[in-house]
Amino acid sequence: MNRTRSHRAGSVWFKILILFLAFHSVAHAHLTIEGVGQVGSGIMHPLMTPPHALILLTLALCLSQRQPFDIGKPMLVFSSVSAVALLLTIPGFFEEVSPVILIGIALGIAIIVAVGKPTPAWSGWVLCGVAAAGIGLDSKADSGSWAEILKTLLGTWLAMNGVVAYLAAVCAHSGEKLWSRTAVRIAAAWIIAICVMMLAFSFRKVS
Amino acid sequence: MTVFLLFFVLPSTASAHAETGSVGGFVSGFNHPLHGLDHIVAMVAVGLWGAFLGKRAMWMLPVVFPVVMAIGGALGVLNVPLPGVEMGIALSGIILGIMVAAAAKPPLWVAALIVGTFAIFHGHAHGTELPKSANAMTYAIGFVVATGLLHLAGIAFGLLDQWVWGRWLVRAGGVVIALIGCGFLFGYL
Repeated sequence: MNRTRSHRAGSVWFKILILFLAFHSVAHAHLTIEGVGQVGSGIMHPLMTPPHALILLTLALCLSQRQPFDIGKPMLVFSSVSAVALLLTIPGFFEEVSPVILIGIALGIAIIVAVGKPTPAWSGWVLCGVAAAGIGLDSKADSGSWAEILKTLLGTWLAMNGVVAYLAAVCAHSGEKLWSRTAVRIAAAWIIAICVMMLAFSFRKVS
Repeated sequence: MTVFLLFFVLPSTASAHAETGSVGGFVSGFNHPLHGLDHIVAMVAVGLWGAFLGKRAMWMLPVVFPVVMAIGGALGVLNVPLPGVEMGIALSGIILGIMVAAAAKPPLWVAALIVGTFAIFHGHAHGTELPKSANAMTYAIGFVVATGLLHLAGIAFGLLDQWVWGRWLVRAGGVVIALIGCGFLFGYL
């Protein structure tokens, strides 16, 4: 009797299992939102492109060291120039920026951070402009419709500005402590070392 | 059966898994400074000496060393010849070890000059040895991070200096580093 009952129960579970296996492809628990594909890949672009990520990190460190901490105007310059530079890639005027120039930008900013001397306010705007132009012009979207290209560039623009503002704010939050300022300068020194080696690699490949 | 046995006899000749891409570059760069006792002792010695010299030097030397070492590395990558690299590396262990053992406290700029000079030799050696196929960015990151961590290991060891027994331990570490340097200089290691 018990054996028959357990046999029936087993048979039911087996049928349910077969049903799950037969119809598993119908299930769609995770829905994709239209448009996120392009925006998402645009967001990932500066984060996954090493020279871009290096510039963004270095610029954020640089802005965080300004006393008093105020990234309003520099970020205005950065967001404006990055928007213009990204839009300039649409007609195809700029295919890419030489990696040597991008590494050079990161190196220049890292040297300023590592030296740790106070610099005039306008220098921050210039650095933001140069960094934004370099990354923006090097972020040409792949082929696609106008809407897709614009969504990709929007993602890139959001990531560029978000990363710089967020990292600068985080670093500046503990920026008045000596260990924090020292850590920032050490990080900048390491970035200088990385950039110097990358430049050497680039020149070796050229030669 | 014979083929099967051949697979077991010759496994070391096979290299199915090659280090490529970003991870390969980082791992390769990270491992590079850790695969030479001469480099390890010198970088740890820099941290140790920095801890002895005081707070400012403790952070100044690990800033100077990677930057100058990268310049030396760049020279090595570009195949710019530098005479006496091996001797410079061996001497770095001896001199830095002696400085730690003697608890020497020269002016900061002198310490930075000594450390920077030896960093050129270490960087050049790394630059000439590094693989041609490595991913430049990730290799450089791994390389610099490993170097920095060795400095930090030295600094952490050097912080024992605040206790009397620790001070002797750190100075003994300097003696060991100097002896290892001698071993390299005279070809025992």
